[in-house]
Amino acid sequence: MRDSRGSPLRRAIALRTRLLLAMVGPLVAVAILLGLAGATLIADVVRRTNDRVLAGALGAIAETVQVERGDVTLDLPPAAFGMLENSERDNVYYRIAVGDTLLTGYADLPAPRPNDLTIDEPRFRFASYRGQRIRIAEVRRALPAIDRPVVVQVAETLDGRSALSRRLMIALLVGEILLVGIAVLLVRPALGWSLRPLSRLRGAVEARDGRAAPDLSPLETGPLPLELRPLATAFDRLLAQLDTATAATRRFTADASHQMRTPLAVLKVQVALARRGSSEALDEIADASARLERLLTQLLALARAEEAGASAPLERVDLREVAVRVISRHIGQAIDADVELQLEAEAGPVMVTGHRTLIVEIVGNLVDNGIRYNRRGGMVTVAIAPAGDVPGDQVTLSVRDDGPGIPRADRDRVFDRFIRLEAGDGAEGSGLGLAVVRSAATRIGATIALEDAAPGLIVRLRFPR
Amino acid sequence: MRILMIEDDAALARSIGALLRADGHAVDHCASGEEALTLVSSEPYALVILDVGLPDIDGFVVLERMRRTGERVPVLMLTARDGLDDRVRGLDLGADDYLRKPFEPEELEARVRALGRRRGGDPMPMVTIGALTLNRSTGHAEVAGRVLDLRRREWAVLDALATRAGQVVPRDLLLAEVFGFDEPVGPNAIEVNVTRLRSKLGDAGPQIRTIRGVGYLIDAG
Repeated sequence: MRDSRGSPLRRAIALRTRLLLAMVGPLVAVAILLGLAGATLIADVVRRTNDRVLAGALGAIAETVQVERGDVTLDLPPAAFGMLENSERDNVYYRIAVGDTLLTGYADLPAPRPNDLTIDEPRFRFASYRGQRIRIAEVRRALPAIDRPVVVQVAETLDGRSALSRRLMIALLVGEILLVGIAVLLVRPALGWSLRPLSRLRGAVEARDGRAAPDLSPLETGPLPLELRPLATAFDRLLAQLDTATAATRRFTADASHQMRTPLAVLKVQVALARRGSSEALDEIADASARLERLLTQLLALARAEEAGASAPLERVDLREVAVRVISRHIGQAIDADVELQLEAEAGPVMVTGHRTLIVEIVGNLVDNGIRYNRRGGMVTVAIAPAGDVPGDQVTLSVRDDGPGIPRADRDRVFDRFIRLEAGDGAEGSGLGLAVVRSAATRIGATIALEDAAPGLIVRLRFPR
Repeated sequence: MRILMIEDDAALARSIGALLRADGHAVDHCASGEEALTLVSSEPYALVILDVGLPDIDGFVVLERMRRTGERVPVLMLTARDGLDDRVRGLDLGADDYLRKPFEPEELEARVRALGRRRGGDPMPMVTIGALTLNRSTGHAEVAGRVLDLRRREWAVLDALATRAGQVVPRDLLLAEVFGFDEPVGPNAIEVNVTRLRSKLGDAGPQIRTIRGVGYLIDAG
């Protein structure tokens, strides 16, 4: 069992690994996608938020730009710069220019071309200034009586933005790592919990182990999850099949032992008598051992016939050859019993489909019965009739004797095991012969019928076409 | 003693018959339950050996019907079955003993003797009447230390009388108890055996008295 299921060469992937691969793999992929999307989103949100603040500052400054007596004036509000203060101490730059003339601020702040800007519509762009990346918000204002464009610019370095982005990204990553980690950690307990019904099933199976007589009734597992029910059902079905098979075996051994007890008792008693000097005891001992031997042969024949005979392929069998063989095998027995044996069959083979050994067993038992339950000077006739041209006509083989026959009432019963009718003359059969015949006939699909031969009995076998 | 054996297997019946006859018992045999019931009600058997597996009616049914008619004869059942239930059932139905096939012949003989002793109400194997000592287990008899050489009929008569020492045993009963159906019985078979017994017991032993027209009686004399 270890070799086929758990050998290191071809080990099936453990359930935990399967679950891990199936669950954590996609989860990591999703986390990566989510991280990428998150990073884009974070960048966007951070930019928008800071731009809005920058725009606020820009608006506050731009509002103060006025025309006073033909000159452009402004009053820089400190609150506008306070708005831009942050913990990262980003540098804030500004520049207000009228045309190319700087009104106030940092002269070298990268200036836009005024025509790129729409009036009163703030525009944002990145630029480099003094070796640093900066974000510039700029707006062009139109002032009455001033024909040159008034451009207001506010800019800040990006440290605050980067710090915020970084913090958000870290939070996102930590969240994702936690998620994947928890999933990995949960695989084992989740698997254990999920497999608990399976181990209950295993427990139910193991509880059947090691009993002297295996209990083959359906497993007692309690309610099972939907997924395991087919397994339990399949297992129960297997148990039921086994139960049927072993019941047949148990019945067989019980029958066999039961049947051996009487001849064994005879043997024991006769051995005791022989020791005390009885002269007839030896004959009785010989008879009893012959009877035991016959019983044993019959029991084995029955076991063979009841075994899965279907496993061997069907073959074409010559009935005539089988009949000749059986008759020659029983000729000695017939002579001893003063019974004549004959075959009624046309020359040439009569082919049927079946298992040769089973057919030999059937014919042999019928001939044996015919001789055994015959009268002295009687006759046993084996007749073979080939199938005619009529459709549905079957090959038949019949064995006819001159014995007492079998009363109509008993005809069904005689095929049961160990049924022996009240035979006169102390004929000692095993009670198994017809059971063997029936079992073997069923196996090859032949039918048996008992008929009156007045006097005597005809057993007629019809073979499948 | 006289035994009825109900056994459908001819070979086993022959074997048990030979075994028990050699022990000095008179054994009648029948192979069917119905016949057995008729025989038991008409003959004074000291013991019935009953096989459970009979062709017509089950041995248990035979036993039950026997006991229902008030038949008290000891019954030893023989069975080829293994089950404890069977043994319990047999004993509960009124069987006195139970043997499972294949049995040891010695055990069958011993159980037959034991059941035979109980019939007389005295399970003791040793019976003492005056100077006569009978060992009903071994078939051994001696008078004042002198071993008697008894034929099996003689032993059967002596045993039948000794079991009822001091009581008159009717001649017909004695005849029925000592001889089976199949045995040739001369008109004075009992007298012949009693006469031989008297001479073997001698003066020292107990006396077998003839009660004319009735039967015999043994007492210490």
